[in-house]
Amino acid sequence: MNGRRIIAVVVKESREILRDPITVGVSLLMPLVMLFLFGYAISLDVRHAALGVWDGDATPASRELVEAFTGNEYFRLAAHYGSLHDLEQALQRSETDLVLVIPPGFAAELARGGRPAVQVLVDGTYSATALLVSGFARAIIAGYRQQGRPQLLRLETRVWYNPSLNSANYVVPGLYAVILLAFPPLLTALGIVREKETGTIQSIFASPLTAAEFITGKLIPYSLIAFLQMVMVIAVGYAWFGVPFEGSLPFLLAAGLIYVLCTVGIGLLVSTVTRTQLVAMLLALIVTLMPSFLFSGLLFPIFTMPEILQIYTNVFPGRYFVDISRGVALKGAGLEILGFEVALLALYTLTVFLLAVWRLKKKVA
Amino acid sequence: MTDEWIIEVAGLHRAFGTQQALAGLDLQVSRGEVFGLLGPDGAGKTTLMQCLAAILDPSDGACRVLGFDTVRQAAEVTSRIGYMSQGFTLYDRLSVDENLVFAARIRGVPDSAFRERQQRLLEMAGLTRFGERRAGELSGGMRKKLSLCTNLIHEPPLLLLDEPSLGVDPLSRRELWRMLRAFREQGTTVVLTTPYMDEAAYCDRLAFLHQGRLLAVDSPAGLRSRAEGSVYRLQTDKTITAKERLDAASEVIGVQWLPGRLVFQLAADTQLPEHLRTALEGLGMLQPVSAELEHAFVQLIGGGGERRGAMPVLPVAGGEEQAAEPIAVADLSVRFGDFTAVDGVTVNVAAGEVIGWLGPNGAGKTTLIRTLCGLQRPSAGSARVAGQDIARAPLALKQRIGYMSQRFSLYPDLTVAENLAFFAGAYGLRGEERRSATAWAVGMTGLEGTGARWVGDLSGAQRQRLALACAVMHRPQVLFLDEPTSGVDPTSRQRFWELIQSLARGGMAVLVTTHYLEEASYCHRLGLMFQGRLIALGSPAELQGEVGIAAGEGMEAVFMAFMERERSPGEAAA
Repeated sequence: MNGRRIIAVVVKESREILRDPITVGVSLLMPLVMLFLFGYAISLDVRHAALGVWDGDATPASRELVEAFTGNEYFRLAAHYGSLHDLEQALQRSETDLVLVIPPGFAAELARGGRPAVQVLVDGTYSATALLVSGFARAIIAGYRQQGRPQLLRLETRVWYNPSLNSANYVVPGLYAVILLAFPPLLTALGIVREKETGTIQSIFASPLTAAEFITGKLIPYSLIAFLQMVMVIAVGYAWFGVPFEGSLPFLLAAGLIYVLCTVGIGLLVSTVTRTQLVAMLLALIVTLMPSFLFSGLLFPIFTMPEILQIYTNVFPGRYFVDISRGVALKGAGLEILGFEVALLALYTLTVFLLAVWRLKKKVA
Repeated sequence: MTDEWIIEVAGLHRAFGTQQALAGLDLQVSRGEVFGLLGPDGAGKTTLMQCLAAILDPSDGACRVLGFDTVRQAAEVTSRIGYMSQGFTLYDRLSVDENLVFAARIRGVPDSAFRERQQRLLEMAGLTRFGERRAGELSGGMRKKLSLCTNLIHEPPLLLLDEPSLGVDPLSRRELWRMLRAFREQGTTVVLTTPYMDEAAYCDRLAFLHQGRLLAVDSPAGLRSRAEGSVYRLQTDKTITAKERLDAASEVIGVQWLPGRLVFQLAADTQLPEHLRTALEGLGMLQPVSAELEHAFVQLIGGGGERRGAMPVLPVAGGEEQAAEPIAVADLSVRFGDFTAVDGVTVNVAAGEVIGWLGPNGAGKTTLIRTLCGLQRPSAGSARVAGQDIARAPLALKQRIGYMSQRFSLYPDLTVAENLAFFAGAYGLRGEERRSATAWAVGMTGLEGTGARWVGDLSGAQRQRLALACAVMHRPQVLFLDEPTSGVDPTSRQRFWELIQSLARGGMAVLVTTHYLEEASYCHRLGLMFQGRLIALGSPAELQGEVGIAAGEGMEAVFMAFMERERSPGEAAA
């Protein structure tokens, strides 16, 4: 590896990139757009679920129960219904997420010191929300009129790391990993294949530049852009989405540098195996953007996947960086805990680099 | 290993799939030579160059370049040579200077030497003033010269140039050659490929490459002398009759159909039969002429083998209402902002006339053709093409003209029949009309039986004739040909021109642009454009007379003389 030659490639490549300000602009803007879209769109929280009520009792006691539901941010009163038939219709038309059925004689039963039954019907179309909603309903009903009574047993739940159970805190650090796997390779996949299309690659082949020098020279400027993208999304995540940052910033940036070298390297590898820019772009999409959502553990926890897919997720570097960025941001974890992931990423980066060098044979056919 | 050979090629084979690109080559090039590889597209020139540059491994056999094996010691080869591939080898977004700096740095040129070499090379290339300009904004000729500079910056002992003059106008080509000669003086060995016979004449030695094999290796004079005595010229008005006679004779292996004359050549070691001589002398003036490289090539490949009789001459469509001058251009200008691409051009072309349109890159030839095809609005002046005002009736215009540019007008992923069907549909031909037009076009261009083949698999010459068939199947009154004959072998080119001449006989007005000055002799008249203006118009003989150049000097000298005349000293320094 000759440093002077590598620098020549870096300088040349940087000039070319900077003289295409639209591409640079788009490549810096896209991650932010994605961060905002997904930071807002992906919410696993239930707020203001629509509540329908059929109050067959119509007593102060039954109204108190309804108020127990609507008195917090989890539910809002959508409508009172006059008949059970209306209720069914409302559920079918998705006007309500759940309905509360209070049968006649509710207050009388309570007054007798009994345990009156109420019914909660939940729209279970989307199971995750339904589970949350029915959980909330159960908790509210269990807490109804508990005040002032002697308590036999009390369960205290403490949520660690994300005490407000705000799903943005969970999603946004995961997005760092997905964004950095999705966008840098798209840009770099064009890096070598463009030279193949214009024919300049032949001059490179017929020069003393080695494949390793050429790839290194390409890797550096594109990684700088990717690093810039990373700093931007982390800053926006912290400042705009209010994601906590518990751990060490230098550690996250260092781990992130290894990660972007890896994802940029994947782009270059794609570039060495394709012949046209269009194919390179599509291939980059297929190997990075699409699986990065599914298999990085961003939305779907890996431990819930079938075993064979769990093994498959190991192929994607995003998975490790999701763990790293969540660990650092939410748990304040450092190298002592995430060392294994960082080491895996480093190994991955090296492998991708060596593969790319091996593929770029300095021969035209 | 000998020291005197810079290049030694032994038993070189290279296959791509089932295609044999190189089928057993042996070749030596000695130090300080300018060695030319001559051959049509698909002959294997580029493959051979890539093997020599050590960026392509042979399937069999070996190349030694500068004493190193190109497979085992590829890095030794690539770190020493200069290799300019076909097409463009520059980074468009980098400036002239930055391109040079990059080339120098990756080749380890010390900074101290770089400054001085950069200055000298840019000066030789006439690019000193353009150091800051981006490569993408240079003209084709300037780009080629800069490309050459980037390959000379490390002063390589061997320079490999793949079609250095492709798409380069004669003026830039001459400067390119001046640079090559200067480096040859210093001992640089140059190997280059070219499809141009006139350029080949500048080489010390030439190799004729045909279908992956070497036909001959010799000096240009040596090659010419092989065909000496077998070439005749017949000056006659009855070209069709004469052509038929020549086609019937088995001794004749090549015929060039020029305006008012035929140049033909006999197979090696044959004499002009007495009966043919008598018959031809009855038609006009017959005399032997000196052989050109082209004749040597035709002799070596033994003619085309599939020469045909005269084509059926069909009149152009709508002949009765045809204008006497299908192209009538009056004071036409086209401006893009401040830039005047076409500046007050006036020209009339008669039915049946073939006019050659010459000029350096960026002279406005393409803009003029685009305007005459109705693709570009004129800024001033007027033009009638095929009787239609180009500004008023662009649609009616397109029905009556044909346009062919060899490189872009066909769909390689469709078959021959599908391409023909597409163009027939585009011209609005239907039913019986469509069938007969297609049959005529296919028969005329000799493409019978190729209907089911992919266009991408055709030879360059076949593609060229198919493009012509597609352009003329509606028998337009006017035909525009943009660089139609680049990259085909001489026999195919002769045959192509034969087609053009017979189309012109049917009343078609033909306008041809070319950088290939030898072809100017096929045209009745020539127009020469420079910086948007038409600076000369007339028959080849008239033009020669105007600048006082002898007929033997060739069209290139005439072209240069006109250019020199136009280049006022003030402009050159601007």
